[in-house]
Amino acid sequence: MFSRAARSWVLRTTGGGLGTRGTHSPGGSARSQGKMAPYYTNHYAQRSYPMPDEPYCTELTAEQQALKEKEKGSWAQLSQEEKVALYRLQFRESFAEMNRRSSEWKTVMGCVFFFIGLTGLLIWWQRVYVFPEKPVTLTDERKAQQLQRLLDMKSNPVQGLASRWDYERKEWKK
Amino acid sequence: MLPLARNARLQVRSNQQTMKRASDFHDKYGNAILASGSIFCITVWTYTATQVGIEWNLSPVGRVTLKEWRDQ
Repeated sequence: MFSRAARSWVLRTTGGGLGTRGTHSPGGSARSQGKMAPYYTNHYAQRSYPMPDEPYCTELTAEQQALKEKEKGSWAQLSQEEKVALYRLQFRESFAEMNRRSSEWKTVMGCVFFFIGLTGLLIWWQRVYVFPEKPVTLTDERKAQQLQRLLDMKSNPVQGLASRWDYERKEWKK
Repeated sequence: MLPLARNARLQVRSNQQTMKRASDFHDKYGNAILASGSIFCITVWTYTATQVGIEWNLSPVGRVTLKEWRDQ
């Protein structure tokens, strides 16, 4: 209640200058030219802000004005199309429309994968130009020899490396 | 029964309106961006991980054949 009063006070006093939204295409007859209120105080309806202060359409044709006059009477006399038209004057989108799914995640994930791929290229470059010489102990031959030595020493025989080696058959345990 | 039918008609009308919504950037290009991004990522990383000479030092268990180390 208080915040709504504060908002309309802000509207009246701040006057000039468009808000941060800039030219984010209001579409149709959204805002009359005279009212240069900041957008953030008078957003389109959203799930978190379903009842904005201002209706979506403020510049009404004669036909629409006649409809607004009719709205002041009993709503039972309004036809279905008239009710929908009044809703469309008041709100930009229905809840179904504003809550619709989008394909934005595809663009997002595609760009995520692209940058991860770029990272891979970066690491390739690093391997070529930054990494030091590979130590001789990491060649396949030396690693095979180290493995034999570890098994000869029976390193980690309980749960580790040597426990995985079958000493009778001289092969890895299945 | 009657209010239900009325709601159904409203729903149908809004469905028609949502289906006519203009497709945005993500509808038009989202699939292509997702596909090309993932293919690029997979290709680059497969190549980098296997062909470039990076030592992953994977476990020898089940993989490495032994070689005698003692100098005789």
